[in-house]
Amino acid sequence: MSESYEYLFKFLVIGSAGTGKSSLLNNFIGNKFKEDRCHTIGVEFGSKIINIGGKSTKLQIWDTAGQERFRSVTRSYYRGAAGALLVYDITSRDSFNALSNWLRDARTLASPNIVILLVGNKKDLEESREVTFTEASQFAQDNELMFLESSAKSGENVEEAFLKCSKTILAKIETGELDPERIGSGIQYGTGTSKRLSAPKKTVRAPSDCACHV
Amino acid sequence: MENRHAPPGVNSRSQTAAQSAADLEVLREIDHVYFSPTSEFDAARYVLEHAPSPPDCVAIEAMFSKLKRQQQVVSGKALHLISQQRDNCDREFAEIQNIRAQLSDTLDTCKKARERLKTASNHLTISTFVILANVRKRQIIKSVLKSLQLLQSLRSVENDVAEFLSKKEYYEAIDLILKGKKAAAAHKEFTCIADLATRLQDTLDMTEERLDSVLASICYNFDENVFKKLKKAYDLLGKTQAAMEQLHMHYSSAVNESALEAIKPYLNNNSMEMKFQEMCQTVPTTKAPLCLLNLCEKLFLVMKSYYLLVSWHTKNEDTVPSSNVFDIEKNVSREYIKQKLKAGLIRIWNDVQAKVSTFLKSSGLEEFPFEKFIQMLGILRKLTQVAEIFCGDKSDLLQDFIKTQSVSYIKNYHRGRMEELKLFLENEGWEQCPVKSTFNLQNLQEFKQFRKYLNPFKSDTSIAKTQSDATSSAPSQDDSVYISKYFTQKTSRTPFEIFRNENVTNDDIFGIEPESDASDESDDEPDELRRDFVEDDRHDYTTTNDYIPTSPSKLKESVIVTNTTLSVLRNCGQYLQISRYLPQISLEVIMLMNQLFDYYFYAVHLFFTSDLDVASSTLYTSKLNLVLKRISNSINVSTEDNASFECPSIPQHLDMDSEANLHGLSERIVGVESVIFLAKQYELLHPYLESIVAQHQRMILEHFRDNTLAVVADLRMPVYMCSASKAVDARSALIAMSQVRWDVKNVAVEHSPYVDMIIRKIQVFALRLENISSKVTLNLEVINSIWSMVSKFIVHLLVEGFSNATKCSNGGRGLMQLDYRQLFVKLEKISRLKPVPFQDYVDRYVKAYYLPRNELECFVKEKTEYSNKHLLALVSSACENKRDRQALSAIVENKDNPA
Repeated sequence: MSESYEYLFKFLVIGSAGTGKSSLLNNFIGNKFKEDRCHTIGVEFGSKIINIGGKSTKLQIWDTAGQERFRSVTRSYYRGAAGALLVYDITSRDSFNALSNWLRDARTLASPNIVILLVGNKKDLEESREVTFTEASQFAQDNELMFLESSAKSGENVEEAFLKCSKTILAKIETGELDPERIGSGIQYGTGTSKRLSAPKKTVRAPSDCACHV
Repeated sequence: MENRHAPPGVNSRSQTAAQSAADLEVLREIDHVYFSPTSEFDAARYVLEHAPSPPDCVAIEAMFSKLKRQQQVVSGKALHLISQQRDNCDREFAEIQNIRAQLSDTLDTCKKARERLKTASNHLTISTFVILANVRKRQIIKSVLKSLQLLQSLRSVENDVAEFLSKKEYYEAIDLILKGKKAAAAHKEFTCIADLATRLQDTLDMTEERLDSVLASICYNFDENVFKKLKKAYDLLGKTQAAMEQLHMHYSSAVNESALEAIKPYLNNNSMEMKFQEMCQTVPTTKAPLCLLNLCEKLFLVMKSYYLLVSWHTKNEDTVPSSNVFDIEKNVSREYIKQKLKAGLIRIWNDVQAKVSTFLKSSGLEEFPFEKFIQMLGILRKLTQVAEIFCGDKSDLLQDFIKTQSVSYIKNYHRGRMEELKLFLENEGWEQCPVKSTFNLQNLQEFKQFRKYLNPFKSDTSIAKTQSDATSSAPSQDDSVYISKYFTQKTSRTPFEIFRNENVTNDDIFGIEPESDASDESDDEPDELRRDFVEDDRHDYTTTNDYIPTSPSKLKESVIVTNTTLSVLRNCGQYLQISRYLPQISLEVIMLMNQLFDYYFYAVHLFFTSDLDVASSTLYTSKLNLVLKRISNSINVSTEDNASFECPSIPQHLDMDSEANLHGLSERIVGVESVIFLAKQYELLHPYLESIVAQHQRMILEHFRDNTLAVVADLRMPVYMCSASKAVDARSALIAMSQVRWDVKNVAVEHSPYVDMIIRKIQVFALRLENISSKVTLNLEVINSIWSMVSKFIVHLLVEGFSNATKCSNGGRGLMQLDYRQLFVKLEKISRLKPVPFQDYVDRYVKAYYLPRNELECFVKEKTEYSNKHLLALVSSACENKRDRQALSAIVENKDNPA
């Protein structure tokens, strides 16, 4: 399994329970849509190499549980994420209302430069829509987020969401706004690049010469 | 007439005998010349010529008389003879007369007959003969007409044959041609026939070609009726055997053709002519499963057709033993065909197998997603089942292939999982995942299918069942019945169509009975299945203060798992599912599963003991050392062996330095306890795992259980020591101890101040531990092992401190006892450990002071747990006698290097 890529981006998928985060991820990495999926426990993981503007980029995507009780578990995965999909369900007003909390978490726990894309999922359920495109756009604009409406069921805008977010990150790297070398940027040089982030340090600390012999 | 001169010597009835004699004499004297015919002899001349000379009368007279006499005798004789013959002459005459009369009668009759015949011919002959002639002509014309008709029919043979063929009346067509040929051969005399004969031959050839093409079509779809007709036709041609050979060739090419046809639609550029193998290589991986399915289906149709052919032959076998030479020959041919058909089954299967293998080899099987891979395996498994019905072959080739592919797939899959695990571990926050206190792996969706094997109440029967299921890869009886249903002519379905169904489950594919747990375990499980095994009463962690480790009942129930633990367990579930479908590689799968555990185990140890700042010799049990060594060998082996895995890098995001959180104790606890939980889950699986491997492989599992799973609790010591050893600052404690005067005369009443200092530190530790217990549910075992590490650390600290006392009196020794007693009373209260472990260590050390010299010598010799420094300090303070002191010191110093 030789996979070569130039960048590795750490991604998060966050949002309230049942908004279809896992479905989005699964759709993106090529699995079938399942109607009644279970709640995610803790976090799940998926990765995919995509090509953005000629650069192959590996996305390391952490799909977090939306349920409140997993907050403590999932929060530890926020650290150092380069991008995030903030997902709400267009048929659930509650999930939309919770967005600002999620957003705050993301901005504080992950890197402050994190690129966030707002995703209104379940676009296929137009008849039970509770959140209009306009108000979501407004929210995105107010919070400087990108915005898309998608359907994990039909696959509409799923890949676009990840691509758009990745493109923005890449653009920010190129303009120098993001520095991949900074620890916790959520970005790493991949096997395809000559530059490598510092080689894994051997941090085996020798037992200190403490006087006591245990 | 008696006077007539009778010729001399002849009848002279009227003469006397003397006379007669004289006559005879005369006769005799007659010159013979006189008897000559007159035309030639002139008697007168003769006499004149012979007249006597000189002519004198006497002589002439004599001569004359003589001649006269002779004349008389001759005349008399002649007369006599004539009279003698007279009667005869008369009689003859009468006879002649008679004959003449008869002749004239005959002539009359002839004349009459002729006349009558003439009449007859006039009246009868002519008309009849005309009729006869006509009849004959008619007959000739008739035969000509027949020939012409024949010619006409011969000319139309072609059309008729075509018509028969279109009606699939092969026998009739061949019959017609053969008859035509026969007729043509019989009428070679016609010039036009020669031409016709060649045309007939052409027609025959063409018809045979047609038959051949029909024969070829048999390969794709065996139709009993069509074949029967064909067979009859070939029988008629006398080419049954040749046709069978031909048919086999057709089957061979049908396998080829079907394979090509099956693949073609999946190629991007089907323009070029390519070899099968090349084609296989160009099939995009994403389309490969469908393509394989198509391939198997197409090939199955050929196999089915052949199978039907063979069974038709067995059904219609009617070899009647016969002594007839012709029949014997026929039987030989039939036997030959039978053998050929039998051999053909294997040959066709081998062809099919080769095609499928070729396809698989270039399909990039190991890159498939799990579901697809399972589907592929299912298809192959079905194919082997089909083969078993088809020719009884166990498809070793394919089985081996499946096995090696499975192993390489699972290894590849495993590599992915390991990489993922590394990522999970490196990103793990070591937060306790909120699950119900009753949680175990059975609650995971992935283990749904295994629950009945894991349930202890039913394990006996169900394991026995799986064992038989799992260890034999051969299809069960039901399977074969099920498969053979597809081998009938009536159905156009194939055993592979199940794979076309989107909703088909893997169990359907593998013919594994679905787990019907509704009947036996229906109580509260459905909820659990939905992964709702997480605690519901804990929506927000602000309420977690309820979980103070004061209520022992709660303590026992807590389950500490991390997100990564769950992910390892889920992977195990996946692995076990794979092994269900690949019973032959169960052991390999289990070994890989164990590797997941090893890696997790190793990572936890690596992450949480990296800052261990006390010497570790007594913290690691020998088994734990062995396990860690074994795992690190498999992880750190350099790149040449691709079976090894990269070591996880120590995460930088965990706060392991802050005293306030006891140097990441909560993470350490979650880490260690989650390994222990994981080990427990593996142990839960153990009976099931044993049931799916062969008897002789169980040892390996047992070894893993006894030498790895059973050892994990030992990890607590080094990990918890990391935090425990920081509970009391060793340096300041030692300094405080060094300020105590140990050479006091009297036993003190009050313990030394350093004791209070240490106790204060311990109290702080206890408070912080309490804080941690609000984050992590700590069970008694955890708390006890933490406290015992604290205690271990303290006893070592004390021994170290005591050994620093260069001078020590009995009073000082007493003070030491007073100090550590005080310390342990307090510690016992705080830690709730009764008694506090490791007390002996300091107790023995302090009391060794009181030992008599020889016992002290034994102590010094035997107690290896104390360092030389400790022992030397002991000796120097305990021995008042200088000689003893030196002797014992020498013993201590020589301990390390025994002579």
